[in-house]
Amino acid sequence: MGVGNPKIARLLEHPAIWRGRSAARRAGLRTGFAALDAHLPDEGWPRTGLIEILVVRFGSGELTLLMPALAALTRAAAARWCVWVAPPLVPFAPALAACGVMLDRVAVVARGGPALWAFEQTLGSGACDAVLGWVRSAKAREIRRLQLAAERGRTLGVLFRPRRAAREASAAVLRLGVEPLAGGARITLIKGRSPRRGVLDLRWAGD
Amino acid sequence: MRPQLLPAASTADLPSPAAPQAPLRSVRQGVHAAAAHELWAGLHLSGFDPVQGLGPLATRAQRFTPRVSLAPPDGLLLEVSGSLHLFGGVASLGRELLEECRHFQGHPVLAFAPTPLAALTAARAGRALLITDPAQLIGALAPLPISALRWPEETRARLARAGVRTLGAVLRLPRAAFARRFGVAQLAVLDGLTGRTREVRAAHRAPVRFRRREELDCELSDHQRLLAALTPLFGALGSFLTARQCGVAELECRFVHRHAPPTSCVLTLAAPCADGRQLCALLAERLNVVQLPEPVRALELRAEQLLPQRSPNRGLWQAGEQGGEACEESDGLIDHLRARLGPEAVQGLTLRAEHRPECAWRLTEPPSIAPRRAVPEAPEELPARPLWLLPQPQPLAVQAGLPRHRGLLRLISEPERIETGWWDGGEIARDYYRAVGRDGVRLWVFREREAPHRWFLHGIFG
Repeated sequence: MGVGNPKIARLLEHPAIWRGRSAARRAGLRTGFAALDAHLPDEGWPRTGLIEILVVRFGSGELTLLMPALAALTRAAAARWCVWVAPPLVPFAPALAACGVMLDRVAVVARGGPALWAFEQTLGSGACDAVLGWVRSAKAREIRRLQLAAERGRTLGVLFRPRRAAREASAAVLRLGVEPLAGGARITLIKGRSPRRGVLDLRWAGD
Repeated sequence: MRPQLLPAASTADLPSPAAPQAPLRSVRQGVHAAAAHELWAGLHLSGFDPVQGLGPLATRAQRFTPRVSLAPPDGLLLEVSGSLHLFGGVASLGRELLEECRHFQGHPVLAFAPTPLAALTAARAGRALLITDPAQLIGALAPLPISALRWPEETRARLARAGVRTLGAVLRLPRAAFARRFGVAQLAVLDGLTGRTREVRAAHRAPVRFRRREELDCELSDHQRLLAALTPLFGALGSFLTARQCGVAELECRFVHRHAPPTSCVLTLAAPCADGRQLCALLAERLNVVQLPEPVRALELRAEQLLPQRSPNRGLWQAGEQGGEACEESDGLIDHLRARLGPEAVQGLTLRAEHRPECAWRLTEPPSIAPRRAVPEAPEELPARPLWLLPQPQPLAVQAGLPRHRGLLRLISEPERIETGWWDGGEIARDYYRAVGRDGVRLWVFREREAPHRWFLHGIFG
């Protein structure tokens, strides 16, 4: 009996089983950018787990990249929270609304406390569909804790870090580098359960 | 026609004039309709120290039924007919009630009867009777001694001289003669006993605020030890709240020092909570950031306002699954974060109808995540705005008529004019542009319409 057996093939479709060779398909969260969907392992953002977005400079387009997915999450019937933990500035509510994000599902945890602790608590609480966190420095062990908390809370966690962190090991399920381009952004897939590697240039709509 | 006096309304309560000599036993028709369905539990604690007070026990007993009456000095009455099915019948309710009595001094005896006085009398006589049928009430009470009624010594002695020593014997006496010889009050007691008249008993009202003080054996400054000393107080608070089916949304914990004024630690919760352990965990978070000026010699826990507890309504699905709700989780998260980071730590966002960007939003209480009744409308067409707005516009240097920010900026949009706010002194007149820096970061800049036409950075598109 081999993989050709339909029963085994069906078993292997189970979302908890990941096979390096074939990258079992899971229903990801549409990013809103068709080219990026095709590039990502689950054809979208993972619904559960921690992803890292590494940027050279604050404001490289890392949030624009997430906005369509956040809009979809907050518009679902049983939508949970979308929490911003220790953002460098308070997100501008009219811009979120213009992107289609429902503000009645958005909560902000202010900067100035133990951000890693707040991030982990929020990820593991089960009250959030997505948690965005800005943490200045995190050790590999701490990122592992965040990843476990995200799985416990069935939450998508997004950790924004400086690009130089790409050299460090990380337990995040997906790591992307984002650099600004004229009218778009260059996405580098640093880590992901996907056979694809390399860069992808995205254009923003309306620019 | 002259008005006539109506006869007394409730003839059943009075001795029937038609048959003044009828024995007391034939009073079944007098049983009150509602009383016929009642079942009273009489609890007697022999050897109970009256100084201890029945209040705490009565409050604990309110876990079983809201109708708890004190029968001083050493008894308690509970009307349990409505709660029997919740506790699995008389036997198991009785077991649990006796279990509650363990915390108190005295040997408990519990009896059940359709009238309160009968239940109490049986318990005082030391008989754990179970009488559910009103028809069997008098038969079951008959062998009990007169002393269980706690009549005055003189009455008892006179009855004893007449050879009347049991309840059965006293109930067989002719009513009119009994009332004449021993007084109407005593006859009323007998009527209450048999259910001929309905006895009204004031329900016990539990105190509506919680205050508990604990003097420490030695002065403590270590947070872990303080927490250990607080744990029993929170346990008491938990059972206090459970007995009242209430929760607290605000809780004050005071640490009393020798010289310094007490340190106060106030917990404010997103939703009422009645779980002592959960409250204790929240206080532990808060305690992490509290600076104590001196060692603590006493602890005080105060909950001034009790709120009705929302009964936990658990969904079939887990939070985050299809149809799963996460209200409880979100309340818990708010409490948890606020306990450690302060009350302003978690906020929601909302829009204001304003054209000035800095006034177009404000912070609110964190939103509730109750499921939506209606599908959200499609997003409106709103003008492009940056995802990050600087708290203050940042002045930019100008070179060749164009603003600089880490290099010369390139304007990539037509100007958007915002000119408003003349009525409240915050007047602005600006032309907003989208711009791209040398490093590719998209910015939101504006040029003042009035001289000297300065340029400012106001947002980052992110």
